[in-house]
Formats: sequence, structure tokens, C-alpha cells
Amino acid sequence: MTEGRVNVFKLHFLVLILVALTEFIGTKKINIGIGVIALFPMLYALVLGGVISWPSFKFLKEKDMNVAANILGVSFLLFVCKLGANIGPELPKLWGAGVSLLVQEVGHIVGTIILGLPVALLLGLKRESIGATYSLDREPNLAIVVDKFGASSPEARGALGVYICGTLFGAIFMSLLASILGSSGLFHPISLAMGAAVGSGSMMAAATGSLAVIFPEAQQDIAFYSGAANLMMSIIGTYVCIFVSLPLTQRLYAWLEPIIGRKNASAETEGGQRSA
Amino acid sequence: MNQVLTILIIGAITLVGNWIGYKVPILESLPGIALLAVITLIGMGFTKILPFKSPVIVWISLFAMIATSPFFPGSAYTAAAIAKINLLALATPILAYAGLSLGKDIHLFKQLSWRIVVVSLVVFTGTFLFATLFAEIVFKIQGKF
Repeated sequence: MTEGRVNVFKLHFLVLILVALTEFIGTKKINIGIGVIALFPMLYALVLGGVISWPSFKFLKEKDMNVAANILGVSFLLFVCKLGANIGPELPKLWGAGVSLLVQEVGHIVGTIILGLPVALLLGLKRESIGATYSLDREPNLAIVVDKFGASSPEARGALGVYICGTLFGAIFMSLLASILGSSGLFHPISLAMGAAVGSGSMMAAATGSLAVIFPEAQQDIAFYSGAANLMMSIIGTYVCIFVSLPLTQRLYAWLEPIIGRKNASAETEGGQRSA
Repeated sequence: MNQVLTILIIGAITLVGNWIGYKVPILESLPGIALLAVITLIGMGFTKILPFKSPVIVWISLFAMIATSPFFPGSAYTAAAIAKINLLALATPILAYAGLSLGKDIHLFKQLSWRIVVVSLVVFTGTFLFATLFAEIVFKIQGKF
């Protein structure tokens, strides 16, 4: 118990150092031709934290890292509270955006499937592709798949794979994506802010952060609309996953797999794929 | 009790970040952070005493919205105090903790095939892109921008 406490304070102290250092470095914008990449404190903090936790350094134990993941969830709650406090003063604005809030949520839900499932099938994934693409595969989604198909099923393997990738580089990727989409000029900052509420704490923080850096004048709006979209997601997300996304992905898989999945079958057999 | 302490420590770290990164003096940020912590803790407590399971994010958002809505007593003060806390200052600690937890998944990652990595990136892109696109289309149809 005492040992557990010491580890927690070690983590908090490391975070304090990381925050002080990275906030001191501040925001940088780099133009890479196709768009502006926003580099900002939270990204440095993520990368430096990742270096500190690198297993070969043996600086943090796996137990410490699990605790850090728990605290990450708690710290996201303060962020969510700030987003809510942003909405309150301008509550009527929320009704004005009601339709787009609902419709963008459909985009969040079907987006993973529309883009992900065909790619997964073309790459030769089988039932793994159902778990991998039916949602963003964060903790609650993982639990849904394991509950339905079992922990050692192909579906759960696919979901776990995407989960691991999401933990490792979801935040960095989302912030890059937000930078590129943001500086493309194709979308309004408000639409992007809604899109950024993907339903994962670290990914959402990174995406909204990028947008706030790229559109400093719209920071208030970005917080407002991503907060509203996030609220929407947290209210209906889990239910939609169980009753809509998963059955829909299974149907689409049954329909699409024989069409695009088969093309890869011969190449896959040469590669020595097991019949099971 | 443990979570109360955690919230307070994260609040303290945010105070430092808000001061260094966004030049808001610590004393000036203090009321805002305190209010965020209180609302968050009320939300967490409320979720616990409810007889059914529900996402804590919903209650915290709801209470924060109510506390800052024009009809709520003292809402102007609450909103102004919380407005002093930069959103990015609250996000940096999240990703710092996320960074410190990364190591645990690296050995799992090494066992993954490159295919699932590609699929992951496509899945991440899909959800962000389509939600943005759908929102943009609705706003365009409505003539909002």
C-alpha cells in the first residue's frame, strides 16, 4: 500500500516536470507545404512521457504505467468539466446546432466502418476486421466485443490491435490529422471541432488542441462544439455501438467479404495462411 | 478519497501549466481550478450514488453546464473564473499521463501485424473525417457558413 502511494507521487511529480518544461517551450507551427503542422506542449509531453516509460529504461514499472493510465482517465474529467463550463453561458447556441450535432454523430459512428472495413478486407483480414473497424475500439468498445465473441475470438483480436495502436499513437495521429484537415481549408473550424470529439480522451484532447493552435481566433467555438459533440457521444455512444455499429459491421462483412475479401485469398494462401 | 487527492494534484499541476504556458498568475487561476475540481468531484460522487451505471462524463458535463448557465446563481462569476483556465493547459497533463502509460503496450504492439496498424490509422481517419464532413454538410445546407 505504502509502495503504491510512493509510485503515484513519482508519477505526479514526473507530470509536473513534463508540464512545466513543455509549457515553457510553448507552441510552434511548422509549414510542411501541404499544410501547417501544429506542435504544442501536450504533444511534447506525450512523446517525452513515452520515452520515460520505454520498457528498456526500467524507469517505470508496468504497475506504475497502469496507474498512469488510470490517472489519465481522471484528468480527462477536469477537461470535460471545462468543456461543459464553456457551453453553459451560451446554452441556446446548442439548440441551433442540434441537427448538425446529431448528424455528425452518425459520421463518427459509420466513419470507422465505411473507411476501415474495405481496407481491412483488401489487406486480407477476416473476422478480425469486424472488431477492428466497428468502432474506435477504446475500453468500452473492447469490452463489448469480448463480451459478445469471447476474449480469444478473431473479432476481439482485431479490436485489441486497434486499441493498442490507439493507445500508442492515436493522439499523435489525431493531432496530425487535425492539423492537415484544418489547414486544408476544406472545413470550417466548427465542423472540425465536432469531428475531433472521437470518443477517446487523449485523442480528443490532442485533436482539439491542434485545432485551437491552428485557429486561435476560434478557440472558444472549438471548445464549445467539441464539448457538445463529446457529450453527445458519451450519452449515446455505448448503446449505438451495441445495437447499431456492431450488427451493421457484421452484415457489411458478410456482404463485402466474398466480394473484396476473395481477391486476396490466393495471395494470402501463398503467404502460408492457416485454414483456421 | 484517493480520487479526490488525484483531482487536487492534477488541479495544482494545471495551475503551474496555466501560469508558465498562458501567463495567468497562479492566484488568478486558483478560483477557476477550484470550481472545476468541485464540479468534477460532484459529478463523480453523483455517478457513484446513482442506483444504475451511467457515464460519469455525462454528469460532469451537465453539472458544469448548469453551474455556468445564466439562470444559475453566481454563474457569471463561475464562468469567468473557469474561463481563465486555458483549455490547452488542462490537456497537457492528460497527455503527459498518457505518455507515462505508453510503455506498457509496447511489447503487445510488437506482436501486431503491420496490417492492423494500417487498419487502425484508417479507422482513426474515418471517424474524424466523416463526422467533420457530415457536420459541414448540415451547416452548409442550413446556410450557417
